[in-house]
Amino acid sequence: MSARSRRADIWSLVIFAGFAIVVVFLIYPLFDIFRYSFMDKESGALSLSNWVAFFSKKYYLRAFGNSMFIALATTFFSMVLGIPLAFFTTRYRIRGTNLLNTLSVLALLSPTFIGAYSWITMLGRNGFLRLMFKSIGISLPDIYGPLGIILADTLQYYPFISLMTAGALMTIDRSLEEASENLGARSTRIFFDITLPMVLPSVTGGALIVFMMSLSNFGTPMIIGGNYLVLPTLAYNLYTSEMSEMPGMASTVSIILMLCASVVIILQQWVSSRRKYASMLVNRPVVKQLKGPKSLLAHLLCYFIVFMSTLPLAVIVFFSFRNTSGPVFREGFSLNSYRQIFFDVPKTVTNSFIYSLIAVLLIATVGTLLGFVIARKRTAAVKVLDPLLMIPYMVPGTVLGIGFIVVFNRPPIFLAGTSVIIIMTYFIRRLPYSVRSAASILKQIDPALEEAGINLGSPPGRTFWTITLPLMQGGIISGAIMSWVTSMNELSASILLYVGKTMTMPIKIYLSVADGYFGTASAMSTILLVVTGISMFVVNKYFNRGSETFVAA
Amino acid sequence: MGAIRIVNLEKHFGEVKALSNINLDIEKGEFFTLLGPSGCGKTTLLRTIAGFYHQDKGDIYIDNQLINNVPAYQRNTGMVFQNYAVFPHMTVFDNVAYGLRVRKMPKEAIARKVAAALKSVHLEGYEERTPDKLSGGQQQRVGLARAMAIEPRVLLFDEPLSNLDAKLRIEMRDEIRAVQKSLGITSVYVTHDQEEALVISDRIAVMNQGVIQQIGKPWEIYTNPQNTFVAYFVGKINMLTMRLEEGSEGGLRRAVKGSLSLVIPAEGTEDLEEVVVAFRPEDVVEASATGRKNEITGSLQTVSFMGSVARFELDVEGQTITVDRHRPREADMPQKGSAAAFAVPVESILLFNPKTGLRVGKGALR
Repeated sequence: MSARSRRADIWSLVIFAGFAIVVVFLIYPLFDIFRYSFMDKESGALSLSNWVAFFSKKYYLRAFGNSMFIALATTFFSMVLGIPLAFFTTRYRIRGTNLLNTLSVLALLSPTFIGAYSWITMLGRNGFLRLMFKSIGISLPDIYGPLGIILADTLQYYPFISLMTAGALMTIDRSLEEASENLGARSTRIFFDITLPMVLPSVTGGALIVFMMSLSNFGTPMIIGGNYLVLPTLAYNLYTSEMSEMPGMASTVSIILMLCASVVIILQQWVSSRRKYASMLVNRPVVKQLKGPKSLLAHLLCYFIVFMSTLPLAVIVFFSFRNTSGPVFREGFSLNSYRQIFFDVPKTVTNSFIYSLIAVLLIATVGTLLGFVIARKRTAAVKVLDPLLMIPYMVPGTVLGIGFIVVFNRPPIFLAGTSVIIIMTYFIRRLPYSVRSAASILKQIDPALEEAGINLGSPPGRTFWTITLPLMQGGIISGAIMSWVTSMNELSASILLYVGKTMTMPIKIYLSVADGYFGTASAMSTILLVVTGISMFVVNKYFNRGSETFVAA
Repeated sequence: MGAIRIVNLEKHFGEVKALSNINLDIEKGEFFTLLGPSGCGKTTLLRTIAGFYHQDKGDIYIDNQLINNVPAYQRNTGMVFQNYAVFPHMTVFDNVAYGLRVRKMPKEAIARKVAAALKSVHLEGYEERTPDKLSGGQQQRVGLARAMAIEPRVLLFDEPLSNLDAKLRIEMRDEIRAVQKSLGITSVYVTHDQEEALVISDRIAVMNQGVIQQIGKPWEIYTNPQNTFVAYFVGKINMLTMRLEEGSEGGLRRAVKGSLSLVIPAEGTEDLEEVVVAFRPEDVVEASATGRKNEITGSLQTVSFMGSVARFELDVEGQTITVDRHRPREADMPQKGSAAAFAVPVESILLFNPKTGLRVGKGALR
């Protein structure tokens, strides 16, 4: 009996810790935002003035409309690019499919603001492409504003759709399409009757993720949006300009942004919970060899899509090696920009690495333990905790940032200006992914394996260490690497929370772009790209995870 | 070593009563099978013995030691799992050595015991293989070797053969039985396959809806079922609810259903108006063999040739009666749709109370 109660204590502690994290780092800040949104700016009295203002002033409503427009347009164009790419690369023989996948995932995982910034260097007021076209008499449209945001967002997020659709297309049982053909259907008929309905849940799921990402994206509209405000940039501007004790309007906008995000997430959960048709015993679909011009056309299309999404990254890397003198680019190439980083702001680089590393260790440990509790101990408390842990999915970075700065700037928990607050931001934003992935890995591990360990005389703790953990290892590490990448690239929350000594690379890049130091920004972006690329490579190579993992994790 | 005693065991899952009033005495060295359809509670009972579930009421003893509060990892019961549960990240050797290492046994002893266990399941030379390189049958052998290696007080088998193909199932079944007998370890075996249960067991407990229906040797279970469930679940049986006619003579009386009229044993039927008349397909004979006594006539609905047996399905008074004929000859095979006449010897008849399902009268078949 003593062993029984001791074991219960360990997992109770984990559950308690889970609740503590949720209460302190989610409910407390979010509730405070909620409270402030109902507080009059001047008097601090309970009031609906902020909400009335939001729904009556064009300034605010326009940002809401802009957000919806950007997210919808991005989703639409991502589908236009993603679905054909998925279909061609899975059903027809396209040379270098792996390369295409790798490059599009690199674009997907790269910091959101890099794409935007790169498009400015190409098509901005003095962008080299714009100047080039101008010299031959073609004047390109202005990239600042909605066009630029949609362009940058689409080229970053379409892989969500292409990879998820490709995943579904590859797991359709071939015999289903054969059965349809056997019953007399022609190929177009088969596509619309069988293939499309089977992949539709994945397409929809991917589309909702794109919508969500675009809706809560802060970096891209901040850099390329100009005067065109969307909800995250509006909230940020309001918060930085309010700077009063009571960020009422910023809170109201945050709540509205969060509500929009929640609706999308709930829809997405609903779509993905519905029956997926992927079967385990797959007769893999046949990959057809196209001939002549058809094959050429298919290749051109696929390569063009991926080229467009890789172009901004390549441009950044190229610019990072250009010769500079202060903020100005000069003729020729040099390592000046890198020199500048390592002599002027080495702390920024080390901050990014250290914060991310600490956050990842926390995420992996806490995520695994909570994932275990959620997958294996379905007590009443756990059933309450499970959905609570998913809240960060619905909290855009900007909102979390505002919440943190509001509540951790005063007693009882004073964290403002510390590295802890940045690390906790990374930790909270990534925790639900880590918990989910640990729980889903566990669901694939037969509980009989743990029972076998126990049956052979190994106490539960030892069984966890010798059986469960080794089996989860690959998934935990690849999940941790994904957390590492997102933490390294985090901007939207940390930009509200940093002070000089806790500056990180994404923040520095943003500030450099704003100040016109493009060389420094390019060099730092290149460093982030290399880190992202290496991490992807490691996950691919050592954990044998396909490109779909990057979407799921 | 290894006697199991279970007293008044009960287990609920929420509203569902998974086990009720289970009483069992399993002897040392006995091969004891829990047989029943899915959801009958057999696996729940096995897992309660292993300690994966905790009973709501009642006691479990192994070797007269009350183990109610002994955690699963200290019960020393070697379990063989339905889906093998071979640790995929360990070699065959490490799998079998796992329980021994937990017991902090010296290295040489572990090597010796692993070798012996692998030998007894014919897996010598597979030590360094990983489970993904093994077939289902080989994985289950590893599972068996692993469970035996710890020299458990009892071996617990949770449908260990249900994931294997038919031929391998028979091979493994015989092997499990042989290994168990040679080691003399008390074994509790769960299966839904009645043939497997009959072949492998010393004794069988037939379970349904969380209740033990009957405990007995395979012969007893088959020839002397105590209720309609056991009769129906083990082997195939024909059942007809028939009206009893007044009066008896020489220990016999008559039961009728429409035009069908059968002479049945009178014992125990005194207070009944109706009775369930049951007989097994293989006990039905040619009408001529009984001198047309207890004749059953009807039209043949199906005629199936199954190799050693031919099976006929006969429509009798709107009910299907199954008849088996051994060593069928093609020339003798009747046509589907034709009329056929068979007979049921009175000594092949088992009677049940139609209201309670319990046996009426005594005595086994044959």
